[in-house]
Amino acid sequence: MSRSFTRQHRKAFWLAMGLLAASAALLLLGVSVGSTGFDSALAMRRDPQALLIVLDIRLPRTLGAWLAGALLGLAGAVAQGLFRNPLADPYLLGSASGASLGVAGAMALFGVSPLATSWLTRLGLTGAAFVGAVLAVLLTLLLAKGVQHTLRLLLAGVIVGVVLGAVTSLILLLQPDVMQAMQSFMLGSTGFVGWTACAIMAAVFACTMVAAWMMSHALDGLALGEATAHSLGLALPQMRAALVAVLALGTGTAVAQTGLISFVGLAAPHLVRSVVKTTHGRLIGLASLMGAVLLTAADILARGLMAPQELPVGVLTAVLGGTYLLWLMHRHNGRGSGL
Amino acid sequence: MKAFSALLVACFMAVAPAHALQLTDDRGVSVTFAHSPQRIVSLLPSLTESVCALEQCQRLVGVDRYSNYPASVRSLPAVGGGLDPNIEAIVALKPDVVILAVSSRASQRLESLGVKVVALETKNHADVRRVLKKIGALLDIPDAAGADRLWRTIDASLSAAAQSLSPAARNKRVYFEVSRGPYAAGESSFIGETLTRLGVKNIIPASLGPFPRINPEFVVRANPDLMMVGNRSMQAMADYPGWSGLKAVKEQRICVFGVDESDVVVRPGPRMAEAARIMARCIADKS
Amino acid sequence: MTPTPKKSAMQLIALDARRVCAKLGNDEVLHGISLALLRARWTSIVGPNGAGKSTLLKALAGLLAHSGQVALLGQPMARMRGRDRARQLSWLGQNESSADDLTAYDVAMLGRLPHQPWLAPPSAGDHAAVERALRATQAWEWRGRPLGQLSGGERQRVLLARALAVEAEVLLMDEPLANLDPPHQTDWLLMVRQLVTSGKTVVSVLHEISFALQADALVVMNHGRVTHQGDCADAATHRALEDVFDHRIAVHHLAGQWLALPRI
Repeated sequence: MSRSFTRQHRKAFWLAMGLLAASAALLLLGVSVGSTGFDSALAMRRDPQALLIVLDIRLPRTLGAWLAGALLGLAGAVAQGLFRNPLADPYLLGSASGASLGVAGAMALFGVSPLATSWLTRLGLTGAAFVGAVLAVLLTLLLAKGVQHTLRLLLAGVIVGVVLGAVTSLILLLQPDVMQAMQSFMLGSTGFVGWTACAIMAAVFACTMVAAWMMSHALDGLALGEATAHSLGLALPQMRAALVAVLALGTGTAVAQTGLISFVGLAAPHLVRSVVKTTHGRLIGLASLMGAVLLTAADILARGLMAPQELPVGVLTAVLGGTYLLWLMHRHNGRGSGL
Repeated sequence: MKAFSALLVACFMAVAPAHALQLTDDRGVSVTFAHSPQRIVSLLPSLTESVCALEQCQRLVGVDRYSNYPASVRSLPAVGGGLDPNIEAIVALKPDVVILAVSSRASQRLESLGVKVVALETKNHADVRRVLKKIGALLDIPDAAGADRLWRTIDASLSAAAQSLSPAARNKRVYFEVSRGPYAAGESSFIGETLTRLGVKNIIPASLGPFPRINPEFVVRANPDLMMVGNRSMQAMADYPGWSGLKAVKEQRICVFGVDESDVVVRPGPRMAEAARIMARCIADKS
Repeated sequence: MTPTPKKSAMQLIALDARRVCAKLGNDEVLHGISLALLRARWTSIVGPNGAGKSTLLKALAGLLAHSGQVALLGQPMARMRGRDRARQLSWLGQNESSADDLTAYDVAMLGRLPHQPWLAPPSAGDHAAVERALRATQAWEWRGRPLGQLSGGERQRVLLARALAVEAEVLLMDEPLANLDPPHQTDWLLMVRQLVTSGKTVVSVLHEISFALQADALVVMNHGRVTHQGDCADAATHRALEDVFDHRIAVHHLAGQWLALPRI
């Protein structure tokens, strides 16, 4: 085994270590940033209320941001590999619009009838968002008549996204007092993430990570083109179906718990690829870590910049990720190679 | 000298056309009417309520779909919402004037079609008083009999509501959540001003603006005595982590306003006295 | 590659196609093609544009839905499991999208997928096969460079290495000389000759007619049908070749090789 062969592997290893270290640091920081700005976690030893705040609010929020970012990064890497499109993001199959419609519908129906209200209380807004996301993906699959044709899948996803988005807008128009609450959902927030939410996200992350890693060969093969992948004996239809399921589940869970946070899924794989060129087996794991770090950092900024007011997390992920991508593009312009 | 100037003024008054009206709306646009408008379309519920409070409900020929008080306006044609008004329907009603919010996008279009538009904004108590006066002027009702009298009634009711609270109930610290986010009503908002008038303290200081989106942790730190929640906040569905330990949650000192009550409380219009009464009742009950 | 003794007793058939018809969209592209391609031989498929050469190759590789039967090394392909077929048949396509972000080594390693158990990392055997394949296409020196930074010819050599790394019995290549400069075209030629000597079967679609004439056998196609099949040294094959291109070329003998020159 020669030197250059392991060079990329070593880069991947160091990137992973770096991201894990960043995660630990951000976790510590996240526990210290709150409604009063930076607030050392050491204070909590003396003040029981501060302890409650740190344990019940800040810790699950920060952890939740990490997990949601990991889910989105994973889904982004899978989406870009599955559709062989560097502009793909996890919401391509309509899951974002489905979740929005679920939430808007639930909010509009709440209080309208006692039966609806009791049902919705049990389901919760997170449940409504998740159900909406999954149903939207199923609708996309139905329209595309299966997972076989990537282009048809993409097109169906776009159609479903647009149509469901229109229905959501209609609901918002008829019930404008829901609009402000919808805005907090559309721009994303970790404010509702408690320990249950963390547990759910952790479980889903573990499952989707394992599943995606097992399919990573299919993604690599697909990178060479569908015909070549088929000639290598890959069971494409089954693997594609499994990958779509991973996308739906991962995105649905993340969106249900933290709302629509854009750009993390799109940017995380690109950021990883700008550092190390590697196969999907490692890319998926690194993209998850990168997404987790990105979202955690953005969440801390969202909470701390204008404390006690909260900025929408989605805006900050775009600023952070977008700035770094712009800088990368600028740097690569001279060399003439793609990202 | 005094007699001469009085005679001069009297001459001007006699020469000036009867019932001519000139109004500067909240956009700074000056609108002139030959006579007081008899056919009015309103695109904002609080403005609808103001017209009816001045007992000129019969002049309304069309309202937006969200205007629902008093009950008589529900039978009027609905011409869309504040954000998406049906221009054609409005013009077909041949209104003398359309009253709407400053933020409405219909103003320019309607004016270009030759319809007179008066844009008014009510963000706080002072605004309500000012807008009542303007509407009174528009409806050609002298202040003494119309806007000022109405305001005095409102003001008196507000004071009465404040006095109905026991001294113990005052100085309670209150958190008002407008919608899920959480978006809270700060001291400088309309709702905040009513709360201040009632004598209670708002945990959201004025420095944060009228409707800030706050960190749920902030509420935990502030530990309010009482929480008021609009129906749309879906308190039952939205469980903020860490709030189960709040004093107000544990002792169930939460008022959830239903759809009708929310309408009253949230609209900055002539029913603000009733809003104050609703909030006072909540404070008294849950103290 | 260690040379194996030629199978002279029984000429086994590598790919046996019987009445293969295929459609692209709504058009019939292949009209009942029956073809027997022999083992340990290099067969070239030639014909004018739109004759259906690439389609035939895809059908033979089992990548295209078709009617009729194709047998690979004696076994009907329709009943073979994907991995078994992939281990015995390697296919290199034309203008397939390339993985710009992977290094040359990683791309070549993808050729070992049919041999790797599902979740296992590459074995020592896999690494050895990849090294052999990269050295055969002179791509070993820059195996750590990502594909996006390579020239067209270098990229083609990496893709070729990927097809070689499968170490399959049968190699199907569609326009393998695309973007290759003359020295590397010659290298490819020598590599194919070596593969055939060691017992592998190579089928190539080439539009460089002079290179196609270097093969052992030639299949001439036109309008979705096989018009001629025969050895490259035969005069009948040369006439069929000139015929299919409307006598715009002429086959000449020079320096021990057959050449197709334009007839001016």
